[in-house]
Amino acid sequence: MKKIEIDLISRVEGHGGILVKIDNNNVEDVKVNIYEGPRLIEQLLIGKDYSECLNIVPRICAICTLSHRYASIRAFEKILNISIKKKVSLMRYLMHMGEIIESNSLHVFVLALPDFFGYPSITGMLQDHKDIIMSGLKIKEFANLIMRKTSARMIHGENPIVGGFGKYPTNKELNEIKRKATELIPMAINALEFLSSVSVPTFCERKEFITFMCLNSGEEFGFVGDTVLVSQGEERDIEEYEKLTNERVVSHSYAKRCTYKNKTFTVGALARINLLGERLKGESYNYFKKMYNKRWKKNPLYNNHAQLLEILFALEKIPSVVDDIKRLKDPALEIPEMVSGEATGAVEAPRGTLYHYYNIENGLIKKADIITPTEQNLDEMERFLRITAENLLKKSKKEIEPELEMVVRAYDPCISCSAHLIKVVHETSS
Amino acid sequence: MKKKIGIYGFTGCAGDQLTIIHSEDKLIPFFDKVEIVSFRMAQSNNKECELDIAFIEGSITTEEQKKRLIEIRNRTDILVPIGTCACFGGIQSMKLGDGKYMDRYRKVYGNNKITIDKAFESLPLNSFVKVDYCIPGCPISSLQFFSAFTKLINDFRPVLYEFPVCTECKWHENQCLLTEKNLPCLGPITRAGCGAVCLDHSIPCVGCWGPVDEANIAYESKLFLKQGFSSQEIIKKFRMFGGKASQELVKSLIKNENK
Repeated sequence: MKKIEIDLISRVEGHGGILVKIDNNNVEDVKVNIYEGPRLIEQLLIGKDYSECLNIVPRICAICTLSHRYASIRAFEKILNISIKKKVSLMRYLMHMGEIIESNSLHVFVLALPDFFGYPSITGMLQDHKDIIMSGLKIKEFANLIMRKTSARMIHGENPIVGGFGKYPTNKELNEIKRKATELIPMAINALEFLSSVSVPTFCERKEFITFMCLNSGEEFGFVGDTVLVSQGEERDIEEYEKLTNERVVSHSYAKRCTYKNKTFTVGALARINLLGERLKGESYNYFKKMYNKRWKKNPLYNNHAQLLEILFALEKIPSVVDDIKRLKDPALEIPEMVSGEATGAVEAPRGTLYHYYNIENGLIKKADIITPTEQNLDEMERFLRITAENLLKKSKKEIEPELEMVVRAYDPCISCSAHLIKVVHETSS
Repeated sequence: MKKKIGIYGFTGCAGDQLTIIHSEDKLIPFFDKVEIVSFRMAQSNNKECELDIAFIEGSITTEEQKKRLIEIRNRTDILVPIGTCACFGGIQSMKLGDGKYMDRYRKVYGNNKITIDKAFESLPLNSFVKVDYCIPGCPISSLQFFSAFTKLINDFRPVLYEFPVCTECKWHENQCLLTEKNLPCLGPITRAGCGAVCLDHSIPCVGCWGPVDEANIAYESKLFLKQGFSSQEIIKKFRMFGGKASQELVKSLIKNENK
C-alpha cells in the first residue's frame, strides 16, 4: 500500500496536513487533517458586550480580520436596529475591498503562483518573473494602505465600529487611494494576461459541475448581501445559515465540515465569479468574457483566476466609491440602547461566505455561532484531492505530493479561521 | 556565516507572521542577510536544523505543540516569542485559572473522547521554555520587529519599549479618552509599540499588547469604577488580551476588593 502523508502543508495559513492511502491502484482514503490548536472563541464571547465582541472576533484570523469584524457589526446592527448612513456603508465597502484585494493578491502572487511554475517559494520565482511578482506586491501594498486608512491598522484595526467609524480618512488620503487604484489597473490586467497564458492542469478536474454558493450582492457585483445564491438558481435568507451549511463533526479534523443537501459545495472567489460574473463591469467584465469557460465550473485551480478578476473589479470600483465618500459629511455616531435579540450577519470574506450569529440579552452575548468559509470548503477540498489522487495513481509519491498541495492551496484555506472552534468525535472503530 | 533563522506559528491568528510577510519588498533585503531555514507559512522546502534564532508566534494549546516547542528550544540559541499570544497567552487565555475550562471544553465537544491530540487551556511560551526576549503586539509592529531582528542578527540586545501606550498617545497630543472623554481606555497599563493608533482614531485602548511592567492597575481600576463599571466588568476588560500576565496583575485587585 502506498501512503502519502503530507504532514504540514506549506504556504497556507494555519496548520493542516493531507493523508492519502492508495491500495491496489485504488484510492482508499483521503483526509485533510487540521491540527490547529483549539481556542474555543465562541465560548469566550459569552458574557461580552458588542464592542468587546468586536475586539475579539477579528483575532480569529489575521487575513480575514475585517470580514469577521464586518459580519459581526452587521449582526449587531440588525439586533440593535441601527440604520447606517450612506458614508458609513461606502467606507465599509472600501475597507472590505481593501481586504479582498489584500488577501487575493497575497494568495495569487505570493502563495499560489509559484505552483504554476514549479518554484518552492516566491523568492525562487522572483529571479525569473520579477515584473509580475513586483506588481503583485505593489497591489498588495496598496490594499494594506486601504486597510490602514479605513481600519487604523493593517491587521486588527479597531476603527470600524457598530454605527460607523471612530475616524474617517481625510480627502488627501482618499485622493491617494484613488490615484493609486487607477495606476494599478494596468498591472492587474497584465497579471491576468500572464495567468491566462499558462495552461491550467486537468488533474483535479471533475466531470460534473461544482455547486457554488455566495451572497447575492444585488444588481452589481459585490461582497455583502442578506440572501445566499446557490448554483441552479436557488436563493435563501442568511438567517437560514444552519440549513445552508449543516455543520457536522468528523474525527480526523480540528475543524467542522459542511454540506448542502448532502452534497459538498464551494465558496469563495470562484463561486462569486461563477454566480455573479455577469454583473461585473468595465475591464473586469471584458476579461471575464474573454477568459471564462465551462472548465471554471469544474476545476478549483481557476480560483486563482477568479481572485485576479476580483482584484481588477475592485481597483476599477474604488475611484468612484472614493468620490462618493468625499462628497458626504462625517456622520455622528449613535449610541445604541442595550437590548435583547438575535440576528445573523454575513459578508463575503475573501475565501467565501462568513456567517456570524449572536443572541444577546440586555446587551450581553448569550450565544454566538460563527461559520467560516474554510469549514464550508473542507469537504470539497477532500473530494478534489481524491480526484487528483485517482488521476495521478501511476505516479510516484514524490510526484503526486506537490500536485496535492497545489489543490489545497488553490482553495486558499484559512485554517486559523476554520479551527477557531473544534469539535472532534471519537472514532469508535480505532 | 549567515545566521540560521526559523519562524514558527502555534495557536493564534497568524497575524504576526503575516505582518512579516506584509513587509513586501522591504522583506527581501532583511532576509538576504540571514538564512531563513524554516518559515512554513511563506515557503516550501523547510529544514528543521540547529538554529541561531527562532521567532515563534502563538500560544500553546495542545500536547503536540508543547513537545514541538521544547524541541525547537533545544536546537536554537535564542528564542523570541512574537505577538501577544506567544508572550502572554492572548485572547484564548482570557479565562485562565477560572476553573471552568473543562466546562467550556465540554460545551464544544460534548462527551466525546478526543483522540487526535490532547488540548489544554492556552498558555504562553514561557510557561514551558526559557524565552530570551519578548516582542509583543496584536499584531506585532513590523518596525519594532525588524529593529529587533537587525540587532539580534548582529549579536546585540534588541531595544523594546518599556513604557505604556499612554506615553505614545501623549506624543501625538491627543485629548485623553480616559479622563476627558470618560471612556474605558487601557492606555496607561498597556505596553507601547503600537503607536497609539486606536487612540489617534478616538477609539479607547483595549490592551491588545498586554500589560506593561509595573502597571498602576489600582488607580486605573479606580478611574473605571468612577465611570460606572463594576469590579467584575473591570476585571473582564483588563483580562481580555494579557493572558497569564493579566491574570497575575488582577490578583492584587481581587485581594484589595476582598479586604
